[in-house]
Amino acid sequence: MTDFSKMSRRDFLGFTGKAGLTTLVASAVGTSFGMVQVAEAAGNARLTPFRFAILTDAHLYDIPDHKFDGILKKAVEDINAMNPPPDFVVYLGDIAQSGKRAELEKGRRILAKLKVPLKVIPGEHDWYLDMGKAWRDMYGSPTWSFDHKGVHFIGMNSILVRDFWTLKSLTPDERMGFMEELECHQCGLWGVREEQLDWLKKDIKKLKPDTPVVVFTHSPLWDYYPRWNFQTEDAPQIREILSGFERVMAFHGHVHQVVYNRIGNLSSVGTLSTSWPWPYPGVELPFPDIRMNRVDPGDILDGLGTQYIDLEKEFNGALHYQAWSDLLPEGVEKGVKL
Amino acid sequence: MKPNIQGRFFVLTATTAAIASIALFTAEPAQARKPFTQDELAAQYKELMDTVKQGDELWHNAKLGKNGLACANCHPDAAAANPHTFPKFQPNLGQVIPLRDMINWCIQVPLEGQALDANSKEMKALEAYAFYMHRGFKLKPGENTKQHPPIEVRSGPGYP
Repeated sequence: MTDFSKMSRRDFLGFTGKAGLTTLVASAVGTSFGMVQVAEAAGNARLTPFRFAILTDAHLYDIPDHKFDGILKKAVEDINAMNPPPDFVVYLGDIAQSGKRAELEKGRRILAKLKVPLKVIPGEHDWYLDMGKAWRDMYGSPTWSFDHKGVHFIGMNSILVRDFWTLKSLTPDERMGFMEELECHQCGLWGVREEQLDWLKKDIKKLKPDTPVVVFTHSPLWDYYPRWNFQTEDAPQIREILSGFERVMAFHGHVHQVVYNRIGNLSSVGTLSTSWPWPYPGVELPFPDIRMNRVDPGDILDGLGTQYIDLEKEFNGALHYQAWSDLLPEGVEKGVKL
Repeated sequence: MKPNIQGRFFVLTATTAAIASIALFTAEPAQARKPFTQDELAAQYKELMDTVKQGDELWHNAKLGKNGLACANCHPDAAAANPHTFPKFQPNLGQVIPLRDMINWCIQVPLEGQALDANSKEMKALEAYAFYMHRGFKLKPGENTKQHPPIEVRSGPGYP
């Protein structure tokens, strides 16, 4: 029998957290039934409901049996055990830490264990050793779109910086070293740049305004904290190009934390990593209640996890963070409405 | 802080001012020595900034550990290092510790490296960097519940 008097506050929270998970799933299903009924009554279905999952920011090192390998493997196992399973998984960048082919290869081997299809976009840690060569050899173009059950999905490479290395005659290793620092103060702002903006305009040209659109980038499509590239320089242009749609959902990696924003027709949600969590920067959150708790440094899995999104018929639904500890305030545990 | 020599001048010139300056004398402790010159202050400041810079370099250096990680992986701009909340009871260590013990814990556990000598130049530099990146923060020894945001850095390394 459990002796509650001997449990620490943290144990207690962990205990209730686990118990809460079952009720959380039950309530999510209940909510979605409610939405389905409304949608059917209105005869306004825009998509066939389904689920997809997001994995991101594993930051694998070229060191055998590194602790982050095990965390990514755990995330893959969790997603494979999901019931119902996701239709596919999207990986939002930073498989590697230092852009090495060996790191990317290790990630590919682990991610190959996923039982459902995988789509990938790059992060800066994957890119700046060889300017994306190894990454492209494995995953092809970083700019893509596809349609699934009525939803148009878009992936873009948002980590492109202006050349800061040629004038300084930096070696590829030095360039990568600079980019590896979150607070790199020589690297400049990231963006998707002209070529991808032109591609985006063409990609969405034939879509009707009521088409459900979902966008994936490594960095957020809003100005959160430029110092840490918690931003995409040409996000205003992206939002303008997508402004004709009734609703757009955007998901990003890079921030290693729970964060949410809504600008015009676009909702933007940050995701949990499988490496380390990042603290909130010294600026106000636009939605202060959608956040994660302070992380326990003594717990290697605290602040980490995966997430899945259940999309409903009217292009609504929620993102559910799957944290491995008592990371989430109650409101966030129930899922973030999209 | 006004140099006391100015107060003495007032004592000699006006009675009312003398009362005020006596109050000033009692409020301010006497100088132990002549005020530092601008050159001396500049030299001291440079020493401090050199130490902060050395700390910055160590903070971002994977050589403190053995698994590729550096302090900055989890603590960019020394964020969430919370130096102003030490000493405090650190639950994962079960005792009251100063910041240097937490730095050594981070080096030994997340970074899987060897603890630094608490009085080493390296430890002093890491502490200097963490504290300098929280300059202006109120001291809150024991604070253990909040995630304090770091100072907002606009450009450069975060110090002059």
